[in-house]
Amino acid sequence: MGIAPERFTGRRDTFAFLICLLLSIMARVAPVEVQNAVVSGVTGTILAPFLAVQAQATQLREARGAYIRLVAQRDTAAAEATAVFPLQAENERLRSLLDLSGRIGISHVGAEVLRQSSAMEGFTLMLSAGRNRRVAVMAPVVTPEGLVGVVRTVGARTSVAILWTHPDFRASAMTEDGRTFGIIAPRGAEGLSTVLMELKGVPYVDVIPNGTRIFTSGRGSNIGGVYPRGIPIGQVISVGEQEEGWARTYIVRPAVHPGAVTHVIILTESVADVGDAFEGRR
Amino acid sequence: MKRYRGRGPLRLAALLLFLVTLQFAVRPFLGSARAAPDFLLVALLVFAIQARPGHAAIAGFLVGFVADALSPAAFGAGALAHTAVGYLAAWGKAVFFADHLLVNAGFFFVGCWVRDALVLLVGRHAEGSAVLWQLAFWSPLLALTTAATGVLVLFVFRGWLRVRFSE
Repeated sequence: MGIAPERFTGRRDTFAFLICLLLSIMARVAPVEVQNAVVSGVTGTILAPFLAVQAQATQLREARGAYIRLVAQRDTAAAEATAVFPLQAENERLRSLLDLSGRIGISHVGAEVLRQSSAMEGFTLMLSAGRNRRVAVMAPVVTPEGLVGVVRTVGARTSVAILWTHPDFRASAMTEDGRTFGIIAPRGAEGLSTVLMELKGVPYVDVIPNGTRIFTSGRGSNIGGVYPRGIPIGQVISVGEQEEGWARTYIVRPAVHPGAVTHVIILTESVADVGDAFEGRR
Repeated sequence: MKRYRGRGPLRLAALLLFLVTLQFAVRPFLGSARAAPDFLLVALLVFAIQARPGHAAIAGFLVGFVADALSPAAFGAGALAHTAVGYLAAWGKAVFFADHLLVNAGFFFVGCWVRDALVLLVGRHAEGSAVLWQLAFWSPLLALTTAATGVLVLFVFRGWLRVRFSE
């Protein structure tokens, strides 16, 4: 095939390209409020039917998976034996979600995760609950294992949450005994699918042993803060950096791996402490 | 490949709508979201093969805008990346590429990988080893499945798209 002169770039093409680039850059540097409004508008209008289809497809996939597992369970003992472990895992996951839902004691909604293909997928999640289910911006998103992130934009039937892996994510955190406090933030990847957190700003005199569990501290939750006290965040695995003898940073293995999350709970009511709802805090 | 006349535009529009629908209706069934083929990008590149670079850039902007709305971690990065990929794909297709199956597979593969690289570069959210893992493992994996899907689409719809594959 040779050059197709009629399709080779001309002034109009270059002009269109530059305009699109300019619009993209404007979108990139626009204030977050404007971006959120655009996201909310687009997902609530043009994309609404497609997202509804995706939500149905996701439910269908779950139902199909459950049906297949059910059939497998009914089959021979050998087939049942091979299916029992994933079935148990799935059952346990859903049961723990239901348990958490029963224990949590404040207004909340369950939502499915609608996976997308973007390279930014590791930083945000599209959830199948929006204004129709009273989800609000800054609502904490959790699983039975712990903190997932926080809702950033809300559409009519969907919402977008930033994950704890997002560079903007921060949460006030504490050790399980409630004596030591710091700020939890993402730390970056450690291998193919391992992403870590860091607990920053811990006073030098407070030594946190490896294995200590870290929870949200709930500081400020009574004056408009985001996360109630007692949501599991992760477990300290080592000491990171030390800042001139006055503060330490600890490396934390997260309680929740975002890639494995299929269902979440969104807290729709402000409360100071939800510690009793999670394992290890009761 | 020839430019469209007659029922061609309608068929192309139907195919693109079909691919967009697959993105939302079928992709959830195809395993890991990080590796399942990106039908939106396939739609963009199929369009870019048929269109002038300017039109492909506009289509890229729209696809990227949609992608940004779905994963707004770095709003605008997707639009910019898809605009560049759409424009360069249409331009490059006109100048360089033969209608060979493997060359087309490479076209989809490179388009997908470059898109991811640009999103990460412009988004500036991931750093260090996270970028490395994304570009060295996840993006090539996504590009591979996307390329296979793209070639399959070109082959199945070669009559509609007026594509003739050389030996």
